[in-house]
Amino acid sequence: MSILVDCTTRVICQGITGRQGTFHCERALASGTRIVGGVRQGKGGATHLGVPVFDTVSEAMQETQANASVIFVPPANAAEAIIEAVDAEIGLVVCVTERIPVLDMVRVRAHLTGSNTVLVGPNSPGLAVPGIGALGIMPQGIFLPGAIGIVSRSSTLTYEAVDQTTRNGLGQSACIGIGADPVGGISASRCLELFMNDDQTQGVVLIGEVGGTAEENAATFLSTLSNPKPVVAYIAGQTVPEGRRMGHAGTIIHYGMGTARTKIEALRETGVRVVSSPVEIGTAIAGCLGQ
Amino acid sequence: MYLFEYQAKALMREQGIPVLEGIVATSEQRALDAARELGEGPWVIKAQIHAGGRAEGRICDSDELRGIEFTDTVLEVGRTAARMLGGNLITPQTTRQGETINAVYIEPEIRSELQVFLAILIDGDRGEPICLASVQGGSQVERDIVDDPNSLVRVSLGAADQIALDVGQDVAAQLGLRSSVRTAFAQLVQQLHALFIARDLSLIEINPLAIRANDSLVVLDARVTVDDNALYRQPAMAALASRTDRSEAEERAAKNGFNFIRLDGDVGTFSSGAGLAMATLDAVSHLGGRPANFLDVPPVLEVSRVKEAFLLVLSDPGIKSLIVNVFGAGIMRCDTIADGLLLAHLEQPVTIPLVMRLAGTNAPLAISRLERSGLSIQFAPDLASGAQMVVDGTDRPPPSHKTDSIVGRLAQWLSGRKSEPKS
Repeated sequence: MSILVDCTTRVICQGITGRQGTFHCERALASGTRIVGGVRQGKGGATHLGVPVFDTVSEAMQETQANASVIFVPPANAAEAIIEAVDAEIGLVVCVTERIPVLDMVRVRAHLTGSNTVLVGPNSPGLAVPGIGALGIMPQGIFLPGAIGIVSRSSTLTYEAVDQTTRNGLGQSACIGIGADPVGGISASRCLELFMNDDQTQGVVLIGEVGGTAEENAATFLSTLSNPKPVVAYIAGQTVPEGRRMGHAGTIIHYGMGTARTKIEALRETGVRVVSSPVEIGTAIAGCLGQ
Repeated sequence: MYLFEYQAKALMREQGIPVLEGIVATSEQRALDAARELGEGPWVIKAQIHAGGRAEGRICDSDELRGIEFTDTVLEVGRTAARMLGGNLITPQTTRQGETINAVYIEPEIRSELQVFLAILIDGDRGEPICLASVQGGSQVERDIVDDPNSLVRVSLGAADQIALDVGQDVAAQLGLRSSVRTAFAQLVQQLHALFIARDLSLIEINPLAIRANDSLVVLDARVTVDDNALYRQPAMAALASRTDRSEAEERAAKNGFNFIRLDGDVGTFSSGAGLAMATLDAVSHLGGRPANFLDVPPVLEVSRVKEAFLLVLSDPGIKSLIVNVFGAGIMRCDTIADGLLLAHLEQPVTIPLVMRLAGTNAPLAISRLERSGLSIQFAPDLASGAQMVVDGTDRPPPSHKTDSIVGRLAQWLSGRKSEPKS
């Protein structure tokens, strides 16, 4: 069993001919991820990086039997790209694009209602299942197939958690970067649910950020479980002054909600081990698993 | 991106929203003229900064002056404006240094018994705009809502570009407004929503909205935040941004696409990725260090931009040590960081203890290149030890660089030349 990506996953890339798309698809292909095609309107019929390029997502799906898409389309057109993939009823969409206007994401969310597509992101480093495949931009060579599920709102801190759990030998069952935008796809709570139901996962690392209520919602979800697997959390931005912007729309703090304190309290109440420094993530989760 | 109150009100006026006539002044004389133009007093003089809490804020070096002042005479308007302009206003929502007041906004004073808080912002959980409102408007609103959460009315506005008049009627009814003002209130909610959509706003907040005895509505204070990600399709909003009063360093950072915020401390930080940048601040603070800045350099290919980012922190005399925490991934490679540092060192020699934690793509290459440069750098295997080293480093004397490389020699020559006395 694996999380969102398994050996049947066949990936297309929307925006494959762009600089970012080319760079990351080349690396993904080299590491064995099954990228079976690309989409770029106006370039249908071409071949790029050795895979066929199509004008539309539905055409690409028909010709390649793709069931997942990774999106590297620039911010102004990214929401349309997601909507196209959702309308084509693809199973999984990972959107790496950052800086998508929030009102565009409001339209995307309305489209996702009632659809079976799982959206990861936007503003996501992607999704990796060590030993099976990766969609997105996570660096290679830091993963180790193993027992820890990682769900993170912060791209770079995801790598930090991966690095620490690789160094202490626990490894990762899957690593999901859900992005820190105010309106996004899959929630932290839903990722926790996937990890709780996954046989390979023995413990979970949750990396949150100030702003939004994803961590409070995750705590509410955990409180409904009778015997959850151990969870270690770190909330980035504990020392960030309130009300000042720190580069992610999701970190703006409105009306005293979504502060580091409210998140930490909510998570601790449900038995989550919240570490106060990011350097303690690896040892904390090892401790929870009795290692 | 924050707008000043006067900019927010101008936007609202265009939309037909009832806003008081007001005048911006940047000098005492202009303030005097403004007061006369606005007719008879009393007047209110409001400091224009990018933060709220002005009525509770204090202006540095003036015992009594707040960010919002009421006066009865024209002369007093001029005098108050003169004392505010150029001053630093510190409010619960600014940093400890406060924000410089470059303009004041003068309006006639309006009294009303009913003051409403009304806002539209994005509800991330539901993924759509939401309207928040309370009849306990005013500067105490946050505390009042914490004390009495039921006083806050929340109505989701849906994903469509327009809302029906009924939505505002619903908000008015839940607030318990008298029936004679409900239609005007509902129209206002509709207009605010239209503005929110048309201008790609992420927050629109009126606090307070005066509901007067004659049933008219007037916006007394307004705050608007524009979605930075949508500025490419909102050129008018982007033009307003260029007139804001960011510090010189923050302006320079913004030009290069860095997220930079000067904080109060003396430990400089340099990271790539907002999350890692925040984690770096947390790790430094956790050990008792005081971060001097937040700096998130987005993934870049150009060495020149990395150099600019280093110059930003190295040229700040308040920074006593620096930690670089970069996890190379995607197009951000550690060797780009190394090259950018070496180039910056040529222009602005590194004279403070420098700790580097480099991991991920091309980290070994970067470290060997830096080691060969002769620059005095402490390399940290992980963030924990790096944070410890940089916090310890604030007390250490400046490093002496070895001169076994061209870059090192060049830098030493440059720094030596700078310190020579001019004759």
